[in-house]
Formats: sequence, C-alpha cells, structure tokens
Amino acid sequence: MRPLEGVRVADLTWLLAGAGGPRLLASLGAEILRIEWRERLDFLRYMPPFAPMQDEETKKSGAMELSSLNKDSVRSVNRGGYFNDINAGKKGLSLNMGHPQGRELFKRIVAVSDVVVEAFTAETMRKWGLGYEQLKEIKPDIIYIQQPGWGYKGPYVKFASYGPIAQAVSGLTEQSGLPSPRPPAGWGYSYMDWSGAYYCALTMLCAIYYKKRTGKGQYIDCSQVEPGIYMTGTALLDALINKRPSQRTGNRSPNTPAAPHGAYRCTGDDRWIAIAVTNEEEWRAFVQVMGQPDWALDARFTSLAARIVNQDELDQLVTEWTQNKDAFVLQDQLQQAGVPAGVCQTAQDRIERDPQLKHLEWLIPLSHSEIGTWPVKDVPFHFAKATVNQGGPTERAAPCYGEDSDYVYGELLQLSQEERDELVKEGVI
Amino acid sequence: MPGFLFDVKVLELADEKGEFCGKLLAGAGADVLKIEPLGGNSTRSLGPFYQDKDNPERSLYFWHYNFGKRGITLDIHTPEGTQVLKKLIAECDVLLDALPLDTLEKLGLDWDTLQQLNPRLIYACVTPFGRSGPWRDYKANDLVHLALGGPMMCCGYDPKEDGTYDTPPIAPQMWHAYHITGNQTFIGIVGALIGRETHGNGEMIDVPIHQAVSVCTEVDVPNWIYNQTACYRQTGRHAQPAVGPAVQFPTRDERYSIILPNPFPGGYETLVEFLDTKEQAGDLKDAKYEEATNRRGRVFAEHFSDVQADCVAAFGMEEIWRDAQTLGIPWSPIRKPEENVEDEQWQMRETFNAVEHPELGETFSYIGAPMLAHEVEWRTGPRAPLIGEHNDEVYGGQLGLSEDEIAQLKERKII
Repeated sequence: MRPLEGVRVADLTWLLAGAGGPRLLASLGAEILRIEWRERLDFLRYMPPFAPMQDEETKKSGAMELSSLNKDSVRSVNRGGYFNDINAGKKGLSLNMGHPQGRELFKRIVAVSDVVVEAFTAETMRKWGLGYEQLKEIKPDIIYIQQPGWGYKGPYVKFASYGPIAQAVSGLTEQSGLPSPRPPAGWGYSYMDWSGAYYCALTMLCAIYYKKRTGKGQYIDCSQVEPGIYMTGTALLDALINKRPSQRTGNRSPNTPAAPHGAYRCTGDDRWIAIAVTNEEEWRAFVQVMGQPDWALDARFTSLAARIVNQDELDQLVTEWTQNKDAFVLQDQLQQAGVPAGVCQTAQDRIERDPQLKHLEWLIPLSHSEIGTWPVKDVPFHFAKATVNQGGPTERAAPCYGEDSDYVYGELLQLSQEERDELVKEGVI
Repeated sequence: MPGFLFDVKVLELADEKGEFCGKLLAGAGADVLKIEPLGGNSTRSLGPFYQDKDNPERSLYFWHYNFGKRGITLDIHTPEGTQVLKKLIAECDVLLDALPLDTLEKLGLDWDTLQQLNPRLIYACVTPFGRSGPWRDYKANDLVHLALGGPMMCCGYDPKEDGTYDTPPIAPQMWHAYHITGNQTFIGIVGALIGRETHGNGEMIDVPIHQAVSVCTEVDVPNWIYNQTACYRQTGRHAQPAVGPAVQFPTRDERYSIILPNPFPGGYETLVEFLDTKEQAGDLKDAKYEEATNRRGRVFAEHFSDVQADCVAAFGMEEIWRDAQTLGIPWSPIRKPEENVEDEQWQMRETFNAVEHPELGETFSYIGAPMLAHEVEWRTGPRAPLIGEHNDEVYGGQLGLSEDEIAQLKERKII
C-alpha cells in the first residue's frame, strides 16, 4: 500500500525546482503524468552527466552495470543522469500544449486528475484558457499549483528565478561564507531548487489532505523566493528585533557558543574535517584525543568563553594538529571520544565509503527503459508499514520521452488507435 | 479561515532537530502542542536573545522555531509524567519525536506500545543518523551534518589556478541541516496523514538527518554515479566538474549582485542590449561577436563575464536589477535577509507579519507564509509559547484534571 495511491497529478513542470515536487509525491505513491513536448524539452534532458554507451562503459572501471542499450547517441534525450534522478517514479507523455487540440486533450487529463502543477511563466496557462477558473469548470475540486518563480501576485510576476537567484535575493547567499570583506561564497548548488521542490510538494500534500477532509480543491501561488526568506531563520529576527544587521561568520557558530567550530585541513588533496566542540565535556575529550598538548592547558583555551575570544589562535593550533592526519581516522577517533566531528564528504565518499548511508540504502537501483538500471537517491523518510520509495507506482527511474503516452491516451482517456494516429499526424502528441 | 491541517493535532517532543518541522506543521494549521521539561526546552538557551539578555523567554531562536505552537511543561521521565504523556499520545494524530535517541523507548514507549495507545498515530522520529547502523551513536550538530552530508564540499570559494584550495569548504549559515530535514519530515508526515484517510491506519516514519542532508545536493552525486567525475566548489555557482566563469560581481556600494546565463534563445542578445542601454556593453556590440562562433570557448566566456562585472560595478546593488529582470534577465541583488522586508513584492504578498508579544508589550515583524494560499490561511500567530503557558488549558481543559490535581502535579514537580 502506498499512501497516495489513487492520487493523480498532471505535471507541467521542469528543471529541479518544478519537477522535484511531483518527484516527492511519486515516492509516496501518486501517479505523476509528466507532460513534455519535443520542441521544448526540459534542459535537464540535455544536461550532463549522461549514462555512458556500452563501448565507453567497458573502458571505465567501477561503472554500474548497464542493460538494454538501444540508442546510438550518448546525447539521446533519454540518457541524462540528473534528469533520471529528478524524474524517477513518474510516467511520461508527449503533448503539444501549444496546439489547440493539445490543450483540449489536456483538459481531458485535468478531468481525471487531482492536482495540476506547473512552472510556466506567469500568464502562460491563462493565455491558453487554462487558468484556475477554467480548470475548476473542468474539475470542480481540482488543486492548482502555480510556481512562477517570484510568485504570481506582486509586481515581480514576470521576473526570472532559478535556484541561485532565489538564494541571492532571499538572503541565503549573503549568509554563506567567510566574514566580510570576503565576498559571500553562496551555495554550490541550487539549494532553493531543492527547497522549491520541498515547498511545492508540501503545498500539494497539504492541499490533498484538505481536499480529503473537506472535498474542496484550491489554487495556490508558490514562490521560490519566499521559502528562502523563511529559512534565513534567526538572522532575520535578530536584524528586525535587535536592529543588528546580519553578518557572515564563516564556519564559526554565530549564536550558540562553540569553539573550535570549523573545517580543518587534513592530509590528502582538499581533505577537511568539521569539528564542533560545544561544551567543556567535549573539550576535555577533544584534548584527550589530541594527546593533551601543553597549549590546551593555557588559560586562553581552558574555558569555552576564553576559547571563543581566542578562536583565531585556536583554529591555527587545531589545524597544526589535524593537517598531518587522515580525516577519516580522525573522525573515528573523535567520535569514539564523544566529540561531534565529520569529514567534509564528497559525492564519492558518500556513494562508495559511507557505511551509514549504505546501511540506510540511500541509493536504490531503479530501471530505466533505455539506459538500464542505475542508482537513484531515495527519499529519507522510512515508513514502517506503507511502501514508500523513489520508484513510486511505476517502480522505475525517469520515463523516456513519451514513454507512457499509450497508457495515458489509450487506457486512461480511452482514445481509439485511429484517434491517436490522427493526433500524432497533427503534431499534437 | 482554517488552515490546511485544520483538524490535525500534533504532539511535539523536540529540540533543534525537529522544531522546524513543528513550526511548519503549525503554520499549515495543525494544533501543535509542544512538551517541554520543567524550566523550559534546551533550545531556549540558543541565541541570539532579545536585547541580548540571555533568558529562556528571550531566545529569538526559540521564538522563530516555535512560532504558532502551544506549550506545556511535563517531566516525562517520572512515572506519573509518563502516564500523562500516554494520555496525550492517545489523543493526538501526530507524535513528532526529535528527542535524543531511545528516549521514548526507555520510558517504555516503543512503536508497538505507541500503536496500542493509539492505532491511528503517525509517529515521526527524527534522529541524527538513524535508529540503527554503524554511525547510529555518532554525535553531530548543524556543521557536522552539513560536512558529512555533502553540502559543504559543494560550497565555498574558487580554487587557485592549479586547482587546489586555500579556503575551506563552507557550511552555509545557519541550521540548514535541520531545515532540510524538517521540510522532508513534514512531507512524510502529511503523506502518512493522507494515507490514513484511505486505510485508517497509523504509521511510523523514521527520518535520519544524515540521509535527508545527503540527498539535498545536486550534480555531485549523478556526476559520480554516471561518470566517476568529482566536482570543484566555486564562488557563487554550482559545484561542477570544471570551473566556470564568475557570475557574482561587486557593486558600486560594496555589495554583490549575481547575473546568471539565460538559457533561452535570445538570452545572450537581450543581456548585451541591456548592458548597452546602460552604456556598459564594452566591445560586445562589435561586429565580430555577431557570429555565434566567435562567442564560444573559455576566453570569450571570461571576457563576457568581465564586461558584466564592469556594469555591476558601475551601479548600486539595488539600482538596475529590476530593469534587467523586466527583460527576463536572471539578475539579482545579494541581499541580507532583512533587506527583503521593505520590498514591494513581499509587502504586496504580506510575506511579513506583525506579531504581538503581549508579555513585553511589543509587536515585532516575523516571516509569514512560504506560499500564498487563498482558500486556507497560513498561521500568522501567536508568538512562541512561554514556559508552561498552556498548562491549565491542556491539563484542565483537554485532560479534564481538577484544579487540585493540577496543583498536586505542580507541587510534585511533574508539570
């Protein structure tokens, strides 16, 4: 049993911020109908990394097993590894929304769906005669989620938003990095794409729950920027209430007393360990692991308050100790002693080395009709009873372009083969 | 107006690992009852503090992350306290547990017992590394989670010319390991609530923070899975297998702005035209650049980036980005969070709300809803509970204890 069994979502999104929300609903069992058209495919379908072809594959050691290779080009729109992860568990169909007949067909999909979610620019759906009022006429209890970047309501309705833009304006970028005058470091990935996906998912789920309880659908205007502001946390209140402009503090703990608190260099190429000593007990354990150096008994470091005042020197001394040590060995020693510490892990570390992630089965093998079986990131919520995983109801990774068109137009909408052939000829599907 | 989760009762036993999830549940309309130990939750000691006075009723951390909840005190570690807790569990829909590992089990409240108490219970358990496994008992905080989970190795400053780094990986401030976990825990909980509508059964959801954080990075994982390629972290842009041209530039007023490449057809031309209207197009209007072939490669990419840098440097951070955005150019100021309060976009959407603190006779501005719903209301108050603020309401009203019984529980330091 999957918790969202019987829930159907018409998915007109793309990229991660848009497509990631329905992905999460797929993991919970909703049937996601990912609608695409060949003339304007998701950029992620063209974005590396690509699943390597068989001949390339044999040259690479350590690569995953591949099967059912049947296309010639590595640049097939079905080979994108990132797309495969972000759209796992969904069904895929081709539909030309730019064609009047395509929009008529879309209305028939709406009639059998619970949720319509889209990430077009703000007025697109309205121009097509598919605004909330019209969708409601087709399906009175429809849930309609619009994600036009900055939000539909407001003067910035037409502004472009991608993860880095939402991070920059919300304050998240400014809060990441070494203190001024160093520039902000920002985020090395689209945190607000993932967060946009989380907030899109949680909004859809809230609306589905509300519909289950009241029978009512609704329209929700999701902005990618507002959740970013929401997650700037206490910096915002400190500035608004204490009138203290927010500042970056690097890896140091800005509000909770802790020292040492940072990333310290270890042996090897770009190897670092994060260490956080938050109280005296942890400090004593830390000093023990360091072999009780004389400097640790100096009054500059024997209390938390003193360590915070002398953090520059402390960080230097800690680095002198860590820089000749193996990060993973250090992590084990510190954890054994009860000191919060962890290697700044790379993707390779997490995939090949991390025993805990392996234990949690954070990557699950899912099959893809063209590129075979590859590991996909599973959802981190483990249900004790229900079946919940990123394979979703399709028990598959991402769909190939148009892979499930026959299911949707044949089985679901009951179009005859002649009608479907005609639609193909007209350039509608 | 009701909230999305208007009829959901949540019992929260959480520190910083779970309070953000509880805040979201309260925002979405659930009745979130927070149980604190006598004297208040550990998170009341987290700064910053109102007027910098270290006091459990003045923690801005606590104010932010416990907004919209009700609060009671209860010593769950006494036999009587455990009995009271059981009564509350029997009457709630969701138990959000982010206490130290095994706390409830040690009180005899394992999952089997919880199910017997309340067969419809959704029990969400947030732990640092999971309830089993080799790192089960590892200690972590926000920084350590962001290190082990991968975000830090994606975030930081450009490498030197030789590809090595003289700056450490960066953990973005602050509490993001718990934001990431809270968002995903919320998704699991509401998913389980929806499932319960269909089949009527409770559920247990186990959310390891380490896993929640580990899945929240982007191309580093697929690059390793598909090509065994590592990524470079780089200032203000995505960690990628190659270092790309800068996108973050200093402004005239010593702040920063970001301009992203516009992936749509015509994106380049629109940006050049815009730079030209500000007399900042450099030589990009030269005939040689009309040929797309002359705009390929690293040398041009860096030149293009330099021209954008010059334009950004000629204006203040807030000066021209709206003009650019009106043309569809992904351009944004790098603001401090508080600089959003006055922005007309958020004013029109009522993104910030005035919230009363009657105990202080003050009203402060808080962030409101993370989205704009029309048929339901995102909770915009009240402020976080004072210590034991709702004791009488809950123990007297909800559980029906007499004044005498409540007084006795107080005297015996159970509540």
